[in-house]
Amino acid sequence: MIFDKGSFRDQAGKVFYSNNKVYRIINKEGLNRLHYIIEKNIIEKSINDNYLIQTKLVEKKNFSEEFSKDDLIYEHEKIPYISYPYEWSFSQLKAAALHHLDFHLYLLDLGATLIDASAYNIQFIGHKPIFIDLLSLKKYEDGEYWTGHKQFCENFLNPLILQSKKGINFNNWFKGNLEGIKTQDLNNILNFTDKISYNIFFQVYLLSKFEEKSKNSEIKIESKLKKKFPKKSYCSLLKQLKNFIKGLKPKKSKTLWENYSTTNTYDKIEEKNKIECVKKFISKNSFDSLCDLGCNNGLYSILSLQNGCKKVIGFDYDLNAVDQAYNFSCKDQLNFLPIYFDASNPSTRIGWNEVERKSFNDRANFDCVLALAFKHHLSLAKNIPLDEVVMWIISLAPKGLIEFVPKSDETVKKMLEIKGDIFKNYTEENFEKYIKENGKIVSITNISKSGRKIYEFER
Amino acid sequence: MKMLYLLLLIFITLISFTSNSFAYLDPGTGSIILQAILGFVAASIATITLYWNKLKNFFKKLLSKKDKKPDDF
Repeated sequence: MIFDKGSFRDQAGKVFYSNNKVYRIINKEGLNRLHYIIEKNIIEKSINDNYLIQTKLVEKKNFSEEFSKDDLIYEHEKIPYISYPYEWSFSQLKAAALHHLDFHLYLLDLGATLIDASAYNIQFIGHKPIFIDLLSLKKYEDGEYWTGHKQFCENFLNPLILQSKKGINFNNWFKGNLEGIKTQDLNNILNFTDKISYNIFFQVYLLSKFEEKSKNSEIKIESKLKKKFPKKSYCSLLKQLKNFIKGLKPKKSKTLWENYSTTNTYDKIEEKNKIECVKKFISKNSFDSLCDLGCNNGLYSILSLQNGCKKVIGFDYDLNAVDQAYNFSCKDQLNFLPIYFDASNPSTRIGWNEVERKSFNDRANFDCVLALAFKHHLSLAKNIPLDEVVMWIISLAPKGLIEFVPKSDETVKKMLEIKGDIFKNYTEENFEKYIKENGKIVSITNISKSGRKIYEFER
Repeated sequence: MKMLYLLLLIFITLISFTSNSFAYLDPGTGSIILQAILGFVAASIATITLYWNKLKNFFKKLLSKKDKKPDDF
């Protein structure tokens, strides 16, 4: 039994892992909170309506550990890949925000509510967002305020507004702050015309002014809380936010890789060869989870799913490409989750005691890795030694494909045009040598006249 | 007396911590004030809409009566 190190903020329960399964202990305090939820079958209803993660009560005797007599143990469906809001594209954060609001409205209709509004409580199974924190549910008390409002603004609303109004990606800022983007910071960035919008005026400008005022002067919160917040107003606030978020669109700037699959430098015959090679490799193996490094808009991820792979997690550092890939995944209802990832600066452990949110390496557990037209961007553009890149890719999964792009290739020529050829180690011989140092070469497929080759490896 | 006051203060602090089971969440005073205002705005809009609709219906009825009059004769 291993306790999740990020599950500590709420004293009413804890997440733990046992035999590769995910469980949650609910203690006496948690039970008091969930009493109404259990009594009204809200857990089952929420699961059936696709709001809440699959959850079932399990018996304590299944475990060798001793539990207190009041404890309840629930088993949750295991999320294939835990991702964090700072790794999502605009459309993903928007989908998560709408899922949160929809679920909250659904619960209010059943006489229940949510105690917080953390974006970390939403996870993706393929393209679908799902709510994972059972202990966020409680009975709605007449006249209560939305305690998660501030958190919702910082975790969901503000990052979306930042991208939509200013074209600034929220990801790296979010990763640095963990709780999202502060309303006062956003208010300082937005200009007068941005604030003319009803929702931005109230949710950003006015809220930041009140927050400032409450810091500087002594506002008695108790007197405010005595006044009831009507349920009608509560629901209309959620609905208003929902409609506003639904209408938000990312302010797009053209990025290099967004149109890569249509504008790349290799021709159609080469692409056909590459597709055939990937198809053959995926079909002969029955992979459960595949990691597609540099997935772009998901061409090879989707191809892998079509050829027998069960789920694919795609990684790319171009947010527009990730957004496009996510929209393809939604359109075709795929078990494909693309996320934002910069291999030269991957997600590290962050939060309390540096263990609250896991690093990329902590979460990397794949059957197969695809690194097609990927490694030269690390070796040549970011100056990471080729041996380290090869070792890292092979460490991610026991089997996979790595594409070697030689210096004679047009893309590489362009990359080295200004920099000059300062990479003496970047040779095919060395590349093969490094694979052999970490595993074995199963096959080599020539895919282009320029000398691009796909290496199948095993370790 | 001072001691009694101090004990009372400690007691109130303890009570307020234990009764608030969501103490880990910072709801923010600003957010509560905003919600109170938004609640008031929403309620006002609802009331204004109600009276506006009543007023509209009143005039509609009045106008339709006037329109019908020539047919009645």
